[in-house]
Amino acid sequence: MFELNKTLTYRGFLLLREQMAEFLITLGNIGCDFYNTVKYILKLRINIKETIEQSKRFAFDSLPISLAIVGMTSIIIAMQLAPELAKQGGADYTGMLSALVMVRELAVVMSGFAIISMVGSSFASEIASMSVTEQISAMKVLKVDPIEYLIVPRFTAGVLFMPVIFIISATFGLICAGIVSNKCADLSLLNYITSMWHGLYVRDIFIAIFKSSVFGGTIALVSSSCGYATRGGAKEVGLATTKAVVWSFLAIAMWDFVFASVFYL
Amino acid sequence: MSLEVKNLVKTFDDKKILNNISFKIENGQTLGVIGFSGSGKSTLLKIISGILSLDSGEIIYPKDSEVAMAFQYSALFDFLNVYENIAFPLLERREFRGKYSKEEIDKIVAQKLKMVGLEGIEEKFPSELSGGMQKRVGFARAIVTNPNIILYDEPTAGLDPVTSTMIEDYIVQLKKDLNASCVVVTHQLSTIKRAVDYVIMLYQGDIVFKGSVYELLEGKNDYARQFVSASINGPMNIATK
Repeated sequence: MFELNKTLTYRGFLLLREQMAEFLITLGNIGCDFYNTVKYILKLRINIKETIEQSKRFAFDSLPISLAIVGMTSIIIAMQLAPELAKQGGADYTGMLSALVMVRELAVVMSGFAIISMVGSSFASEIASMSVTEQISAMKVLKVDPIEYLIVPRFTAGVLFMPVIFIISATFGLICAGIVSNKCADLSLLNYITSMWHGLYVRDIFIAIFKSSVFGGTIALVSSSCGYATRGGAKEVGLATTKAVVWSFLAIAMWDFVFASVFYL
Repeated sequence: MSLEVKNLVKTFDDKKILNNISFKIENGQTLGVIGFSGSGKSTLLKIISGILSLDSGEIIYPKDSEVAMAFQYSALFDFLNVYENIAFPLLERREFRGKYSKEEIDKIVAQKLKMVGLEGIEEKFPSELSGGMQKRVGFARAIVTNPNIILYDEPTAGLDPVTSTMIEDYIVQLKKDLNASCVVVTHQLSTIKRAVDYVIMLYQGDIVFKGSVYELLEGKNDYARQFVSASINGPMNIATK
Protein backbone atom coordinates (compact mmCIF):
# COMPACT_ATOMS: atom_id res chain seq x y z
CA MET A 1 0.00 0.00 0.00
CA PHE A 2 1.21 3.49 -0.83
CA GLU A 3 1.46 5.67 2.23
CA LEU A 4 2.93 9.12 2.01
CA ASN A 5 4.68 9.03 5.38
CA LYS A 6 6.50 5.83 4.46
CA THR A 7 7.83 6.84 1.05
CA LEU A 8 11.55 7.18 0.64
CA THR A 9 11.16 10.75 -0.66
CA TYR A 10 9.16 11.76 2.39
CA ARG A 11 11.69 10.22 4.76
CA GLY A 12 14.44 11.96 2.83
CA PHE A 13 12.58 15.23 3.20
CA LEU A 14 12.20 14.71 6.96
CA LEU A 15 15.90 13.91 7.31
CA LEU A 16 16.84 16.99 5.31
CA ARG A 17 14.53 19.13 7.44
CA GLU A 18 16.09 17.72 10.60
CA GLN A 19 19.61 18.36 9.30
CA MET A 20 18.72 21.92 8.29
CA ALA A 21 17.23 22.59 11.73
CA GLU A 22 20.35 21.15 13.39
CA PHE A 23 22.58 23.29 11.15
CA LEU A 24 20.66 26.47 11.96
CA ILE A 25 20.58 25.74 15.70
CA THR A 26 24.35 25.15 15.77
CA LEU A 27 24.94 28.32 13.76
CA GLY A 28 22.68 30.22 16.15
CA ASN A 29 24.48 28.85 19.22
CA ILE A 30 27.88 29.79 17.80
CA GLY A 31 26.57 33.25 16.89
CA CYS A 32 25.17 33.83 20.41
CA ASP A 33 28.36 32.61 22.07
CA PHE A 34 30.45 34.82 19.77
CA TYR A 35 28.28 37.84 20.62
CA ASN A 36 28.56 37.22 24.37
CA THR A 37 32.30 36.51 24.14
CA VAL A 38 33.00 39.74 22.26
CA LYS A 39 30.74 41.63 24.70
CA TYR A 40 32.77 40.36 27.67
CA ILE A 41 36.09 41.08 25.96
CA LEU A 42 35.01 44.65 25.17
CA LYS A 43 34.04 45.08 28.83
CA LEU A 44 37.48 43.68 29.72
CA ARG A 45 35.84 40.84 31.61
CA ILE A 46 38.69 38.46 30.84
CA ASN A 47 39.75 35.87 33.41
CA ILE A 48 43.54 36.29 33.18
CA LYS A 49 44.42 33.13 35.13
CA GLU A 50 42.22 30.92 32.94
CA THR A 51 43.42 32.67 29.77
CA ILE A 52 47.05 31.91 30.68
CA GLU A 53 46.07 28.30 31.44
CA GLN A 54 44.29 27.88 28.10
CA SER A 55 47.08 29.67 26.22
CA LYS A 56 49.56 27.12 27.57
CA ARG A 57 47.34 24.31 26.26
CA PHE A 58 46.83 26.07 22.94
CA ALA A 59 50.52 26.73 22.35
CA PHE A 60 52.22 23.68 23.81
CA ASP A 61 49.71 20.91 23.04
CA SER A 62 49.45 21.65 19.35
CA LEU A 63 52.97 22.87 18.53
CA PRO A 64 54.67 19.46 18.09
CA ILE A 65 51.95 18.09 15.81
CA SER A 66 51.79 21.39 13.93
CA LEU A 67 55.55 21.33 13.35
CA ALA A 68 55.37 17.70 12.23
CA ILE A 69 52.55 18.30 9.73
CA VAL A 70 53.92 21.57 8.30
CA GLY A 71 57.48 20.18 8.23
CA MET A 72 56.49 16.98 6.41
CA THR A 73 54.28 18.84 3.92
CA SER A 74 57.03 21.33 3.10
CA ILE A 75 59.58 18.52 2.69
CA ILE A 76 57.27 16.63 0.29
CA ILE A 77 56.53 19.76 -1.74
CA ALA A 78 60.23 20.68 -1.95
CA MET A 79 61.15 17.08 -2.91
CA GLN A 80 58.82 17.24 -5.89
CA LEU A 81 59.18 20.91 -6.79
CA ALA A 82 62.93 21.53 -6.56
CA PRO A 83 64.19 18.77 -8.96
CA GLU A 84 61.42 19.58 -11.47
CA LEU A 85 62.19 23.30 -11.43
CA ALA A 86 65.92 22.53 -11.69
CA LYS A 87 65.28 20.41 -14.82
CA GLN A 88 63.35 23.31 -16.41
CA GLY A 89 66.07 25.77 -15.47
CA GLY A 90 63.98 27.45 -12.82
CA ALA A 91 65.72 26.26 -9.67
CA ASP A 92 65.99 29.86 -8.51
CA TYR A 93 62.23 29.98 -8.14
CA THR A 94 62.14 27.16 -5.57
CA GLY A 95 62.49 29.45 -2.57
CA MET A 96 59.96 31.89 -3.90
CA LEU A 97 57.32 29.23 -4.60
CA SER A 98 57.94 27.46 -1.30
CA ALA A 99 57.62 30.72 0.62
CA LEU A 100 54.46 31.73 -1.22
CA VAL A 101 52.77 28.38 -0.69
CA MET A 102 53.97 28.07 2.89
CA VAL A 103 53.24 31.56 4.20
CA ARG A 104 50.09 32.34 2.28
CA GLU A 105 48.42 28.98 2.62
CA LEU A 106 49.99 25.79 3.86
CA ALA A 107 51.47 26.72 7.23
CA VAL A 108 48.37 28.46 8.49
CA VAL A 109 45.89 25.87 7.19
CA MET A 110 47.96 22.88 8.34
CA SER A 111 48.53 24.48 11.76
CA GLY A 112 44.78 25.03 11.91
CA PHE A 113 44.15 21.35 11.23
CA ALA A 114 46.69 20.39 13.92
CA ILE A 115 45.02 22.71 16.42
CA ILE A 116 41.54 21.39 15.59
CA SER A 117 42.65 17.82 16.19
CA MET A 118 44.72 18.51 19.32
CA VAL A 119 43.06 21.43 21.08
CA GLY A 120 39.65 22.02 19.47
CA SER A 121 38.48 18.45 20.04
CA SER A 122 39.67 18.55 23.65
CA PHE A 123 37.90 21.90 24.26
CA ALA A 124 34.66 20.44 22.90
CA SER A 125 34.78 17.16 24.80
CA GLU A 126 35.86 18.83 28.05
CA ILE A 127 33.05 21.41 28.01
CA ALA A 128 30.50 18.85 26.78
CA SER A 129 31.43 16.53 29.68
CA MET A 130 31.02 19.44 32.08
CA SER A 131 27.62 20.15 30.60
CA VAL A 132 26.25 16.59 30.86
CA THR A 133 27.58 16.15 34.42
CA GLU A 134 25.85 19.38 35.55
CA GLN A 135 29.16 21.16 36.25
CA ILE A 136 28.03 24.06 34.06
CA SER A 137 24.70 24.18 35.91
CA ALA A 138 26.66 24.24 39.20
CA MET A 139 28.70 27.15 37.86
CA LYS A 140 25.49 29.05 37.09
CA VAL A 141 24.09 28.41 40.60
CA LEU A 142 27.39 29.60 42.08
CA LYS A 143 26.86 32.77 40.00
CA VAL A 144 30.00 32.31 37.92
CA ASP A 145 29.23 33.01 34.27
CA PRO A 146 30.23 29.90 32.22
CA ILE A 147 30.76 31.98 29.06
CA GLU A 148 33.17 34.24 30.93
CA TYR A 149 34.93 31.36 32.67
CA LEU A 150 35.03 28.79 29.87
CA ILE A 151 34.64 30.38 26.44
CA VAL A 152 36.23 33.84 26.74
CA PRO A 153 39.65 32.51 27.92
CA ARG A 154 39.72 29.83 25.20
CA PHE A 155 38.73 32.32 22.49
CA THR A 156 41.35 34.83 23.69
CA ALA A 157 44.02 32.11 23.81
CA GLY A 158 43.11 31.07 20.25
CA VAL A 159 43.28 34.62 18.87
CA LEU A 160 46.61 35.34 20.57
CA PHE A 161 48.47 32.06 20.20
CA MET A 162 47.51 30.66 16.80
CA PRO A 163 49.72 33.35 15.14
CA VAL A 164 52.64 32.23 17.33
CA ILE A 165 52.16 28.63 16.24
CA PHE A 166 51.85 29.75 12.63
CA ILE A 167 55.07 31.80 12.73
CA ILE A 168 57.06 28.95 14.31
CA SER A 169 55.57 26.33 11.94
CA ALA A 170 56.05 28.42 8.80
CA THR A 171 59.68 29.18 9.72
CA PHE A 172 60.29 25.51 10.42
CA GLY A 173 58.60 24.53 7.13
CA LEU A 174 60.72 26.96 5.12
CA ILE A 175 63.91 25.69 6.76
CA CYS A 176 62.91 22.10 5.94
CA ALA A 177 62.10 23.03 2.33
CA GLY A 178 65.46 24.84 2.02
CA ILE A 179 67.43 21.83 3.28
CA VAL A 180 65.53 19.42 1.00
CA SER A 181 65.99 21.71 -2.03
CA ASN A 182 69.69 21.76 -1.30
CA LYS A 183 69.87 17.97 -1.08
CA CYS A 184 67.53 17.15 -4.00
CA ALA A 185 68.39 19.88 -6.50
CA ASP A 186 71.78 21.19 -5.35
CA LEU A 187 70.24 24.58 -4.71
CA SER A 188 72.39 26.60 -2.36
CA LEU A 189 70.73 27.83 0.83
CA LEU A 190 71.75 31.40 -0.02
CA ASN A 191 69.98 31.18 -3.40
CA TYR A 192 66.97 29.66 -1.71
CA ILE A 193 66.74 32.48 0.85
CA THR A 194 67.29 35.20 -1.77
CA SER A 195 64.64 33.64 -4.00
CA MET A 196 62.14 33.55 -1.12
CA TRP A 197 61.95 37.35 -1.00
CA HIS A 198 61.28 37.68 -4.76
CA GLY A 199 57.69 36.57 -4.39
CA LEU A 200 56.92 37.08 -0.74
CA TYR A 201 56.04 40.51 0.60
CA VAL A 202 55.77 41.79 4.16
CA ARG A 203 52.07 42.32 3.43
CA ASP A 204 51.68 38.55 2.88
CA ILE A 205 53.19 37.87 6.29
CA PHE A 206 50.85 40.30 8.03
CA ILE A 207 47.82 38.90 6.20
CA ALA A 208 48.86 35.37 7.21
CA ILE A 209 49.31 36.41 10.85
CA PHE A 210 45.88 38.05 10.82
CA LYS A 211 44.39 34.99 9.11
CA SER A 212 45.93 32.66 11.71
CA SER A 213 44.49 34.80 14.50
CA VAL A 214 41.01 34.54 12.93
CA PHE A 215 41.48 30.78 12.50
CA GLY A 216 42.55 30.40 16.16
CA GLY A 217 39.59 32.36 17.46
CA THR A 218 37.21 30.46 15.19
CA ILE A 219 38.51 27.03 16.25
CA ALA A 220 38.31 27.91 19.95
CA LEU A 221 34.84 29.45 19.64
CA VAL A 222 33.31 26.71 17.47
CA SER A 223 34.76 23.92 19.63
CA SER A 224 33.74 25.52 22.91
CA SER A 225 30.29 26.38 21.60
CA CYS A 226 29.63 22.84 20.33
CA GLY A 227 30.62 21.51 23.77
CA TYR A 228 28.61 24.10 25.66
CA ALA A 229 25.37 23.28 23.81
CA THR A 230 25.62 19.56 24.62
CA ARG A 231 22.78 17.88 26.51
CA GLY A 232 22.43 14.18 27.29
CA GLY A 233 25.17 11.67 28.05
CA ALA A 234 28.34 10.00 26.81
CA LYS A 235 27.00 9.54 23.26
CA GLU A 236 26.23 13.24 22.98
CA VAL A 237 29.73 14.14 24.22
CA GLY A 238 31.16 12.07 21.35
CA LEU A 239 28.78 13.64 18.85
CA ALA A 240 29.62 17.14 20.11
CA THR A 241 33.35 16.46 19.66
CA THR A 242 32.79 15.20 16.12
CA LYS A 243 30.58 18.17 15.36
CA ALA A 244 33.21 20.57 16.73
CA VAL A 245 35.91 19.05 14.50
CA VAL A 246 33.72 19.04 11.37
CA TRP A 247 32.43 22.58 11.93
CA SER A 248 35.94 23.87 12.66
CA PHE A 249 37.24 22.35 9.39
CA LEU A 250 34.35 23.90 7.48
CA ALA A 251 34.80 27.26 9.18
CA ILE A 252 38.51 27.29 8.35
CA ALA A 253 37.83 26.39 4.72
CA MET A 254 35.26 29.18 4.56
CA TRP A 255 37.56 31.78 6.15
CA ASP A 256 40.38 30.71 3.85
CA PHE A 257 38.15 31.35 0.85
CA VAL A 258 37.11 34.74 2.25
CA PHE A 259 40.75 35.76 2.84
CA ALA A 260 41.83 34.60 -0.63
CA SER A 261 38.93 36.48 -2.21
CA VAL A 262 39.48 39.70 -0.26
CA PHE A 263 43.28 39.91 -0.36
CA TYR A 264 44.42 38.00 -3.44
CA LEU A 265 41.64 38.15 -6.02
CA MET B 1 14.47 33.48 54.63
CA SER B 2 11.13 32.49 53.22
CA LEU B 3 10.63 31.14 49.73
CA GLU B 4 7.35 31.26 47.89
CA VAL B 5 6.50 29.67 44.55
CA LYS B 6 3.30 30.94 42.94
CA ASN B 7 1.47 29.34 40.01
CA LEU B 8 4.67 28.05 38.40
CA VAL B 9 4.28 26.57 34.91
CA LYS B 10 7.04 24.96 32.83
CA THR B 11 6.60 23.34 29.44
CA PHE B 12 9.06 21.34 27.35
CA ASP B 13 8.11 20.61 23.72
CA ASP B 14 4.40 21.29 24.34
CA LYS B 15 4.41 18.94 27.35
CA LYS B 16 3.60 20.54 30.68
CA ILE B 17 6.26 19.43 33.16
CA LEU B 18 5.05 21.67 35.98
CA ASN B 19 1.47 22.81 36.10
CA ASN B 20 0.46 25.66 38.36
CA ILE B 21 2.75 24.73 41.26
CA SER B 22 2.39 26.84 44.41
CA PHE B 23 3.90 26.48 47.89
CA LYS B 24 5.55 28.53 50.59
CA ILE B 25 8.43 27.72 52.93
CA GLU B 26 8.96 29.79 56.05
CA ASN B 27 12.38 30.65 57.40
CA GLY B 28 14.16 27.61 58.81
CA GLN B 29 11.71 25.08 57.35
CA THR B 30 12.53 22.18 55.07
CA LEU B 31 10.18 21.15 52.31
CA GLY B 32 10.44 17.67 50.87
CA VAL B 33 9.47 17.18 47.23
CA ILE B 34 8.60 13.61 46.31
CA GLY B 35 7.22 11.87 43.24
CA PHE B 36 8.10 9.38 40.55
CA SER B 37 11.08 9.90 38.29
CA GLY B 38 10.08 12.34 35.58
CA SER B 39 7.40 14.02 37.66
CA GLY B 40 9.17 17.39 37.46
CA LYS B 41 10.94 17.46 40.85
CA SER B 42 14.43 18.26 39.57
CA THR B 43 12.99 20.74 37.04
CA LEU B 44 11.36 22.56 39.96
CA LEU B 45 14.73 22.86 41.73
CA LYS B 46 16.46 24.01 38.55
CA ILE B 47 13.86 26.74 38.10
CA ILE B 48 14.16 27.93 41.72
CA SER B 49 17.96 27.98 41.41
CA GLY B 50 17.83 29.92 38.14
CA ILE B 51 19.34 27.23 35.91
CA LEU B 52 16.09 27.01 33.93
CA SER B 53 13.63 29.77 33.15
CA LEU B 54 9.95 29.50 33.99
CA ASP B 55 7.13 29.92 31.48
CA SER B 56 4.81 31.66 33.92
CA GLY B 57 4.38 32.12 37.64
CA GLU B 58 6.53 33.68 40.30
CA ILE B 59 9.36 32.71 42.63
CA ILE B 60 9.48 35.11 45.53
CA TYR B 61 12.30 35.47 48.03
CA PRO B 62 13.99 38.49 49.58
CA LYS B 63 16.40 40.31 47.27
CA ASP B 64 19.43 39.73 49.48
CA SER B 65 18.85 35.96 49.56
CA GLU B 66 21.64 33.63 48.56
CA VAL B 67 20.39 30.45 46.87
CA ALA B 68 22.62 27.36 46.83
CA MET B 69 22.12 23.93 45.33
CA ALA B 70 23.61 20.52 46.07
CA PHE B 71 23.39 18.39 42.94
CA GLN B 72 22.34 14.75 42.63
CA TYR B 73 25.76 13.63 41.39
CA SER B 74 27.58 16.40 43.28
CA ALA B 75 28.62 18.19 40.04
CA LEU B 76 32.08 18.85 41.43
CA PHE B 77 34.52 20.38 38.95
CA ASP B 78 36.65 17.37 38.06
CA PHE B 79 39.63 19.50 36.95
CA LEU B 80 39.86 21.19 40.37
CA ASN B 81 40.82 19.70 43.74
CA VAL B 82 38.56 19.82 46.80
CA TYR B 83 40.03 23.13 48.02
CA GLU B 84 39.61 24.78 44.61
CA ASN B 85 36.08 23.40 44.26
CA ILE B 86 34.95 24.87 47.57
CA ALA B 87 36.82 28.14 47.05
CA PHE B 88 35.55 28.42 43.44
CA PRO B 89 32.74 30.95 44.07
CA LEU B 90 34.99 33.04 46.35
CA LEU B 91 37.71 33.15 43.70
CA GLU B 92 35.68 33.35 40.50
CA ARG B 93 32.40 35.11 41.30
CA ARG B 94 32.74 38.72 40.18
CA GLU B 95 31.45 40.32 43.37
CA PHE B 96 33.84 38.24 45.51
CA ARG B 97 36.96 38.51 43.36
CA GLY B 98 39.74 40.07 45.42
CA LYS B 99 37.45 40.43 48.44
CA TYR B 100 39.07 37.63 50.42
CA SER B 101 42.76 37.11 51.10
CA LYS B 102 44.36 33.69 50.62
CA GLU B 103 44.41 33.19 54.42
CA GLU B 104 40.71 34.06 54.71
CA ILE B 105 39.79 31.64 51.93
CA ASP B 106 41.90 28.89 53.55
CA LYS B 107 40.03 29.47 56.79
CA ILE B 108 36.57 29.49 55.16
CA VAL B 109 37.31 26.30 53.19
CA ALA B 110 38.59 24.51 56.31
CA GLN B 111 35.54 25.68 58.28
CA LYS B 112 33.06 24.49 55.63
CA LEU B 113 34.82 21.14 55.31
CA LYS B 114 34.61 20.76 59.08
CA MET B 115 30.89 21.51 58.96
CA VAL B 116 30.39 18.49 56.69
CA GLY B 117 32.74 16.29 58.69
CA LEU B 118 35.66 16.31 56.29
CA GLU B 119 39.12 17.55 57.09
CA GLY B 120 42.51 17.24 55.47
CA ILE B 121 41.25 16.31 51.99
CA GLU B 122 41.83 19.72 50.39
CA GLU B 123 44.41 18.41 47.93
CA LYS B 124 42.35 15.44 46.73
CA PHE B 125 40.52 15.47 43.39
CA PRO B 126 36.82 14.48 43.13
CA SER B 127 37.74 11.21 41.38
CA GLU B 128 39.69 10.17 44.50
CA LEU B 129 36.65 10.50 46.78
CA SER B 130 33.81 8.10 47.58
CA GLY B 131 30.21 8.97 46.58
CA GLY B 132 29.35 10.07 50.12
CA MET B 133 32.44 12.27 50.38
CA GLN B 134 31.69 13.83 47.01
CA LYS B 135 28.19 14.67 48.23
CA ARG B 136 29.59 16.30 51.36
CA VAL B 137 32.16 18.29 49.37
CA GLY B 138 29.23 19.36 47.17
CA PHE B 139 27.43 20.51 50.32
CA ALA B 140 30.54 22.39 51.50
CA ARG B 141 30.79 24.16 48.14
CA ALA B 142 27.08 25.00 48.22
CA ILE B 143 27.28 26.58 51.70
CA VAL B 144 30.56 28.45 51.18
CA THR B 145 28.66 31.69 50.54
CA ASN B 146 26.41 31.18 53.63
CA PRO B 147 23.16 30.70 51.68
CA ASN B 148 19.70 31.38 53.11
CA ILE B 149 17.99 28.95 50.76
CA ILE B 150 19.51 25.52 50.10
CA LEU B 151 18.20 23.17 47.44
CA TYR B 152 19.12 19.48 47.58
CA ASP B 153 18.57 17.30 44.51
CA GLU B 154 18.32 13.65 45.61
CA PRO B 155 21.00 14.03 48.30
CA THR B 156 21.02 10.34 49.28
CA ALA B 157 20.64 8.76 45.84
CA GLY B 158 23.09 5.94 45.25
CA LEU B 159 24.40 5.88 48.83
CA ASP B 160 24.35 3.06 51.37
CA PRO B 161 21.86 3.40 54.27
CA VAL B 162 24.47 4.44 56.83
CA THR B 163 25.97 7.14 54.63
CA SER B 164 22.40 8.23 53.76
CA THR B 165 21.66 8.70 57.45
CA MET B 166 24.82 10.73 57.87
CA ILE B 167 23.88 12.93 54.87
CA GLU B 168 20.38 13.43 56.31
CA ASP B 169 21.92 14.54 59.61
CA TYR B 170 24.10 17.04 57.78
CA ILE B 171 21.05 18.45 55.98
CA VAL B 172 19.39 19.07 59.37
CA GLN B 173 22.60 20.42 60.93
CA LEU B 174 23.42 22.79 58.06
CA LYS B 175 19.88 24.19 58.14
CA LYS B 176 20.32 24.95 61.85
CA ASP B 177 23.84 26.37 61.46
CA LEU B 178 22.88 28.66 58.60
CA ASN B 179 19.27 29.30 59.63
CA ALA B 180 18.31 28.49 56.07
CA SER B 181 15.15 27.37 54.30
CA CYS B 182 15.61 24.13 52.40
CA VAL B 183 13.98 22.19 49.59
CA VAL B 184 14.90 18.51 49.41
CA VAL B 185 13.97 16.46 46.35
CA THR B 186 14.08 12.80 47.29
CA HIS B 187 12.71 9.32 46.76
CA GLN B 188 13.85 8.12 50.18
CA LEU B 189 11.29 7.85 52.94
CA SER B 190 14.10 7.90 55.50
CA THR B 191 15.15 11.34 54.27
CA ILE B 192 11.54 12.54 54.51
CA LYS B 193 11.24 11.22 58.06
CA ARG B 194 14.57 12.55 59.32
CA ALA B 195 15.18 15.81 57.49
CA VAL B 196 11.88 17.27 56.29
CA ASP B 197 9.16 19.37 57.95
CA TYR B 198 6.45 19.04 55.34
CA VAL B 199 5.99 17.50 51.93
CA ILE B 200 4.56 18.08 48.49
CA MET B 201 4.12 15.25 46.03
CA LEU B 202 4.24 15.78 42.28
CA TYR B 203 2.58 13.59 39.68
CA GLN B 204 2.51 14.50 36.00
CA GLY B 205 3.41 18.09 36.84
CA ASP B 206 0.65 18.63 39.42
CA ILE B 207 0.81 18.72 43.20
CA VAL B 208 -1.24 15.70 44.29
CA PHE B 209 -0.37 15.84 47.99
CA LYS B 210 0.60 18.66 50.32
CA GLY B 211 0.96 18.16 54.05
CA SER B 212 3.11 17.24 57.00
CA VAL B 213 5.31 14.16 57.17
CA TYR B 214 2.80 12.65 59.58
CA GLU B 215 -0.04 13.20 57.08
CA LEU B 216 2.05 11.64 54.33
CA LEU B 217 2.73 8.52 56.37
CA GLU B 218 -0.84 8.38 57.66
CA GLY B 219 -1.91 7.34 54.17
CA LYS B 220 -5.25 9.12 53.90
CA ASN B 221 -4.30 10.54 50.52
CA ASP B 222 -4.42 7.88 47.77
CA TYR B 223 -1.29 9.19 46.03
CA ALA B 224 0.66 9.40 49.29
CA ARG B 225 -0.47 5.91 50.29
CA GLN B 226 0.67 4.44 46.98
CA PHE B 227 4.05 6.16 47.24
CA VAL B 228 4.66 5.22 50.88
CA SER B 229 3.58 1.61 50.34
CA ALA B 230 5.57 1.41 47.08
CA SER B 231 2.56 -0.20 45.43
CA ILE B 232 2.07 -0.46 41.69
CA ASN B 233 -1.69 -0.29 42.27
CA GLY B 234 -3.14 3.14 42.85
CA PRO B 235 -4.02 6.40 41.16
CA MET B 236 -0.51 6.81 39.74
CA ASN B 237 -0.05 4.82 36.57
CA ILE B 238 3.64 3.99 36.31
CA ALA B 239 3.32 2.40 32.85
CA THR B 240 2.21 5.65 31.22
CA LYS B 241 4.30 8.07 33.21
